[in-house]
Amino acid sequence: MDHPQFFFMAILWMVIWGAVGAVMIRRAYFARDLDVTQARAVGVAVGAATGPFGLIPLYLKTPELTRRWRVLPWLGVAAVFTAAFALSDPDNVCVTSGSFVASQVTNGLIIGTIYGLMALGLALIFSIIGIVSFSHGEFYMIGGMVVYYMTEVWLPGAGPVLAVIFACVVTFMIGALFERAFLTPIYDGRVERPNEYAILVTFGLAFFLQYLVQGLSGANPVKARPFFELPKTNIPEDGSILATTRSNITLFDTISVSTPRLTAAVISVLMLGLLIWFLYKTWWGKGLRAVAQDRQAAAVAGINPKVMNMVAFGLGCMLAGLAGAVLVQAFSWLPQTGMIPALRAFVIIVLGGLGSLPGAFIGGLLLGLIEATGVGCMPDPTRAAAYLPAYGMIVLTLVLLLKPTGLFGKKI
Amino acid sequence: MIRHIPNGAGLAALATLLVFPLAYGGANYDFVMHLWITAFFYAILASSWALLAGYGGQFSFGHMAFMALGAYGAGLLDNYVVVTGQPTRTCLEIGLFGNWVVFIAPTGVSKVQSCLEMAQAAWPADATVSRFPLILGIIFGAAIGGGAGWLIGTLVLRLRAAYLALFTVGFSEILRAAISAEIWLTRGQAGLPLSPIFPDGVTLFGTYFPATAKLPAYYVMLALFLGTLLLLTWIAQSRIGLFLRSLREDEDAAEALGVDTVRYKRVVFVLTAMIAAAAGAVQGHYVGLITPNTIVLLQMSLVIAMAVIGGLENVVAAAIGAILISFALEFLRTDFFLFGTRIDMTTWRLVFFGLLLMLTLRFLRNGVIHGALMWIDRRGVGAETVAKRRAGQTEGAE
Repeated sequence: MDHPQFFFMAILWMVIWGAVGAVMIRRAYFARDLDVTQARAVGVAVGAATGPFGLIPLYLKTPELTRRWRVLPWLGVAAVFTAAFALSDPDNVCVTSGSFVASQVTNGLIIGTIYGLMALGLALIFSIIGIVSFSHGEFYMIGGMVVYYMTEVWLPGAGPVLAVIFACVVTFMIGALFERAFLTPIYDGRVERPNEYAILVTFGLAFFLQYLVQGLSGANPVKARPFFELPKTNIPEDGSILATTRSNITLFDTISVSTPRLTAAVISVLMLGLLIWFLYKTWWGKGLRAVAQDRQAAAVAGINPKVMNMVAFGLGCMLAGLAGAVLVQAFSWLPQTGMIPALRAFVIIVLGGLGSLPGAFIGGLLLGLIEATGVGCMPDPTRAAAYLPAYGMIVLTLVLLLKPTGLFGKKI
Repeated sequence: MIRHIPNGAGLAALATLLVFPLAYGGANYDFVMHLWITAFFYAILASSWALLAGYGGQFSFGHMAFMALGAYGAGLLDNYVVVTGQPTRTCLEIGLFGNWVVFIAPTGVSKVQSCLEMAQAAWPADATVSRFPLILGIIFGAAIGGGAGWLIGTLVLRLRAAYLALFTVGFSEILRAAISAEIWLTRGQAGLPLSPIFPDGVTLFGTYFPATAKLPAYYVMLALFLGTLLLLTWIAQSRIGLFLRSLREDEDAAEALGVDTVRYKRVVFVLTAMIAAAAGAVQGHYVGLITPNTIVLLQMSLVIAMAVIGGLENVVAAAIGAILISFALEFLRTDFFLFGTRIDMTTWRLVFFGLLLMLTLRFLRNGVIHGALMWIDRRGVGAETVAKRRAGQTEGAE
């Protein structure tokens, strides 16, 4: 960094005016007896983005906080942050090279699709059973392990489609069995504190599964072969529009994406379509959503909520397993692999609003972007990679402080 | 008669622990001593976590992070702060009572001549350089842990159950990432070396024990363990314990009845964090090296498993569970062969404890040790029978 003082002064400026906005704007809305639910978040955003220039008019006029007010100031905050970063570090690769940024953004969105898929499973479980599963990362790991063993060890010629389906079946079965054996007491009040019981028992499952896999397959990292490899092509002759090698695609000479990740994202989007079809068009999907809305009313309408609990938990675990199954070809795989993705999924569902399915997916895309730019743009690359889990936690802390309901959450 | 068994057994166990290092004479003396010290360490962590989670209802997964903060706090003072008899004039230093407290700039793993070494070259031969007092380092570590506990306790005031657990998992992950990445200060994965608890050895009862002897460390850890247990049991049955339990049962109702929930949440976080940090600092000095791997979730899982299997709502039961499990973990280490394949017990024992944790939660919600104590307390009669008898008595009285 050439001029770090710019950056830190900008951050200080944003924090101070954000805090002023949080207090003053809320007070103004309170004094005029208006809706204060959005006032704090909007006050922070307007204060951080514009300082006193936006805060004073907002304080005086107190307009109705429509969706535009809730979104635009945050874009302003992002713009101010980016400008401060660019001024303070003009030689950074993110500032000098537009193609690098485009590449990072594309990769962030691609990996974000898969994060979203995994978080969707957690959101599904939360919306139906009302618990947060701490074993989500282990299902992700098991999904990947099953695909590895299917394609490399048990049935080397089986092909990835069969392996992915088998991984889904295995993770669904483990999830459903666990739900039947260990989660049933929380439905009928047989445990005094169901939330804490659920945290501890899913945590115990995570511990058990992680070491079970380590005992069965060993502690060495494994890596599956890519699901498919591209032929080498160049369009046109010099490859200025599209150039592919076996493991990489380059668009317009700027955006570079590795094939395994792209394959994973494509499968995820397909699976997402299938899930939406399942949730909105089939009886089971409608039943699940009915239970999420109103358990008693669903029971009156002839849906057995207990069976739906089992399906929801199994399905949620299956989504995590699926995310692992498509990503095992992109990363090397360990029994401990699940830890960071699980944390990430927690961050995403809090960001998107606990229990909101669209929120989980959009939160996944956002976190993918934040992580990709965070890793790409930090001035010290080794440190940037080491702090990978920290970006999500910063997001989590900010969300919990500013808007605990998340982007799409209902009021808690 | 049967009701007095736990108290008698407790006294006997205490007496045994006190004389054990003097009486035991096996060939594996050092190994057994090491097991006991580790067991005490885990018992301190498990019982303080039981107060936080079982009494206060705050299911924090950041206990090992507090422990590591204490250890690193003590370790940094131990490595980068020395007391000298001469001013260096080049380092950052403070004069105190004719001595100088010198702060050496951290160098990480690289070998750079520090300002102290340069100054030493010019000093007279009788100039003294000694380490920063160890007890102050441990107190400093505990204070850092308490400060972090206050911070976390404040940040999570509004968070409940799952949010709190998530936040603390994230906190410990960030701390681990920071300790691994900031090599200039913490030496990263190479680990930060710490001096032994008694760097020059110690003379007890007329016998000299060198710095590597296990017996002094055993008594230090035992004292910390017993002190913790006394403090925790006193708190658990005092007014604070009552407030904490009300916090656990229903926060809103407790607040409506006039319990200062904000204050007691902070109190329980600061207190348990300080205990964990002190234990970490002492353990760090005993082992002589502290690495970021102590914060991995496995260690936290072990502490949770110990507290849950012992009994979450009883600090003594949690401590007993921790001692039993840390011994069991050690004795289950031996590999064996089953159908011609080698069973790697270092992994499979953890599978076993994971399963035990789940089954205890599912079927013995009060934990194994606490459940057994309650059973003895009821004179061997089932809980339902006692409830029925009580119901019968009140009916008769009316």
